[in-house]
Amino acid sequence: MIRLENVSKAYKGDTVALRDANVNVDKGEFVFLVGASGSGKSTFLRLLNREEVPSTGQIFVAGKDIGELSSWKVPYLRRNIGSVFQDFKLLTNKNVSENVAFALEAIGRPKHVIQSQVPAILELVGLSSKAGNFPHELSGGEQQRVSIARAFVNRPLILLADEPTGNLDPATSVGIMRLLERINKTGTTVLMATHDRGIVDTMRRRVIELDRGSIIRDQARGVYE
Amino acid sequence: MAIKLEYVARETGTNLKRNFTITLATVMTVAVSLALVGASLMAQQGVERATKRWQGGIEFIVFLNPGASEEQAQAVGADLEANPQIEKVDFVDKNEAYTEFRELFRDSPEMIEAVTPDILPASYRVEPIDKSADIVTALSEQYKTKPGVSEVVSATETIRLVQRFSEFLTKGILVVAVFLLGASGLLILNTIRMAMFARRREIEVMKLVGATNWFIRVPFMVEGLIQGVIGAVLAIGTLAIARPALEGWLPPGDQIPLLAGVVPQSSDMFPIYLLVGLVGCLVGASGAGVAVTRFLDV
Repeated sequence: MIRLENVSKAYKGDTVALRDANVNVDKGEFVFLVGASGSGKSTFLRLLNREEVPSTGQIFVAGKDIGELSSWKVPYLRRNIGSVFQDFKLLTNKNVSENVAFALEAIGRPKHVIQSQVPAILELVGLSSKAGNFPHELSGGEQQRVSIARAFVNRPLILLADEPTGNLDPATSVGIMRLLERINKTGTTVLMATHDRGIVDTMRRRVIELDRGSIIRDQARGVYE
Repeated sequence: MAIKLEYVARETGTNLKRNFTITLATVMTVAVSLALVGASLMAQQGVERATKRWQGGIEFIVFLNPGASEEQAQAVGADLEANPQIEKVDFVDKNEAYTEFRELFRDSPEMIEAVTPDILPASYRVEPIDKSADIVTALSEQYKTKPGVSEVVSATETIRLVQRFSEFLTKGILVVAVFLLGASGLLILNTIRMAMFARRREIEVMKLVGATNWFIRVPFMVEGLIQGVIGAVLAIGTLAIARPALEGWLPPGDQIPLLAGVVPQSSDMFPIYLLVGLVGCLVGASGAGVAVTRFLDV
């Protein structure tokens, strides 16, 4: 599903965010990216949906070399990749169901599809009763559920989560992880960057550890360190 | 991918509402500058019409008596042709004079009805070699007394002054208008930029979920276009009101012959309106086009 071949990424002024990375992720895997701040986790994720372009090396997503992708095709790549962030990135002037519907509208889905998909996904994330609420009326955990619903409503092949529990307390985090696990069980490949030792150690999934841009560990059923 | 009309209308409407005051300022600037462009073209056309007889170096016109005989007319013509001080002579017969008259007043049927070819005098339009005022005066004096001549009208300093002044004026207005149009374009660009800034979070999310560039851009482009078009419509409205008002305000042509036909006829205005409309669209589209390509790095 995802393959990195000798991928390096350097930013302006000698900052190397990723150094000669070789990774292969199969369809349906659940992968944790761990490492200190600045170790290159976010860059790793941003390379996958082509928010960044690698300095050297090749990245294949669903069999396609995304470095070769012309810029007008990038949106179509991103339709196969859902993204979730620490700060949720919800639109404050839209309510829960409008926030989710926005993701489908933006890719030109017809109204009847939106009308059937949005309630179904809100049911999945457990927010059916809050469909008409605005983001500021929700708790952090609920906001993150909305953002996951938005990322997943289009049934992407891959879900990228950049510290999705970073702003949440441990109990709420567990709920979010259960949700991501459920999504993973539907066959969606999940990559999650995290600092949360507890989560990584209890879930025992594949762990890739980064240190100053280099992959220093890639372990099946791993722990935080 | 087809972009839904409903979506574009809604997004563009939101943008225009959200930035109402700045949109208003932009539209007014567009309207004022386009109205000036139109006014400049109107003035140019009006002066051209009013001084039509005096173009191409014509310095004086010898009008013949409506009752002058063929021989008298030919004698005057031959005399003019033979005069070494004269460069060129054009004979305008009754019918040509009538055609010109009809052309000049084609939107005023009451004027055309009142006039027949018979009552319009035939004339010689004369271009002397030396165009200085005293030579022209001397020449026109010379022909005033010829048999069959009713009067000699010379292009006085006043007409030349009007021509020069109006040329200066129309160019001046046009220069101001071009500057204002530039300002309008930049204002539109900045309005769009502000609209994009106001919606940067939406745009970020749209990019993230895979909206195409055009899907994101089109509502902003339509917004710019609409600002240009509304400005043009206001400018055209102003001109359409100003034209008959000007016609009513100026004294009629028979009192001050110089002003005869100085206000363009309404059918002459159509190309001016068309041009104003096109320029409005162009300013709006180009301002918005630059904004979306420069500031919407997708």
